[in-house]
Amino acid sequence: MAKFFKIVFSPIVFGLLFWAPLIAQSMTAAGLQIFALPNLIVGLFIGGGLGLMAHYRGSWIWIK
Amino acid sequence: MDQVTQAVNWDEVSAEQLDAMERKIAAKYIKKFPLGIIIWGFANTLIWLALWPLVILDLLPIWAAFPIAVVNVCAAYLPSHDAQHSIIAREGHKLRWLNELLGHVSLIPFAQSFRYLRFTHFEHHAHTNNPDLDPDFDVHAENRKVYFRNALMRKQPINATRKDLYSAALERVGKSTVAVDAIAIRTVYTLVLFVAACSGYAIEAALLWWLPLHIADIYIPYYLSWKPHHPGTDQGRYQDTEAFKSTFGNLVSSGMQYHVVHHLYPRIPLMHTPAAFREMRPILLRRGCDLRGM
Repeated sequence: MAKFFKIVFSPIVFGLLFWAPLIAQSMTAAGLQIFALPNLIVGLFIGGGLGLMAHYRGSWIWIK
Repeated sequence: MDQVTQAVNWDEVSAEQLDAMERKIAAKYIKKFPLGIIIWGFANTLIWLALWPLVILDLLPIWAAFPIAVVNVCAAYLPSHDAQHSIIAREGHKLRWLNELLGHVSLIPFAQSFRYLRFTHFEHHAHTNNPDLDPDFDVHAENRKVYFRNALMRKQPINATRKDLYSAALERVGKSTVAVDAIAIRTVYTLVLFVAACSGYAIEAALLWWLPLHIADIYIPYYLSWKPHHPGTDQGRYQDTEAFKSTFGNLVSSGMQYHVVHHLYPRIPLMHTPAAFREMRPILLRRGCDLRGM
């Protein structure tokens, strides 16, 4: 059970399951595309990166 | 309406008489049934819930739904706050179920647990401004700018101190088990965000819940904890809470201009604190309260 909560509240999971689709869908809504990459890949890259930063640095915004 | 403090020669009033007048005024307002806050609590949650199908079915554009959701989430706490203090009905009263139902339902947009907030809030009342025992003590900041900076930093994973302060408060009062409610509700909230985002409704979830909740999480403690208890250094019945004049009026400041009355008599309904304050004002001034010109 503790492992389940650790996963649900993990910044990396939040980055991948919330930020990634949010970034991808926002780009699609705005008609944006980067280097012909699918928006979801861009979302996963940015969202996953933010999640990694929040996990290891302890901050979503770099400063802490 | 009979005014308790009308035509009083204040120079001749003893401390005991002041106390009796203060209690008489409070009793008058405590008796009033808070129908407004009951309607507010249920209607606010219903409106917020209705935004989801309205937006998903394209009946309401997200840009129009977002500000409504922000208002809904910011307004979600106060009906529950009245219920936390059993203002609608005390234990044993036939309407007790309504009090508890309002407490739970009104908090849905704010994704918080009624029991978790109730017991930690009681500790805030019992130990206001005590750096070791007040679970809301971490909101204190020297000025508005520092408050907003701290509020932003508290949201970072490394600074989750509030959770610890609340856990400690619950442990002290033997209510640690209610933390389970809070974890369960936050789990459901997080899973809803994940499912919505992965189903193609990430923007909707972000603008109907995630962002409004972050805004509310800064707005609510600003007016309920920081502003009326600022600078957070004084303790004591008539010293720990101050009145203040809000630039944005009583409505935008969540009725907290008169929070001093709430700390003296927590069972006075929110919607009656302005009237109770006006009537108690001369007494409060003699008690040494800082009313900041109100």
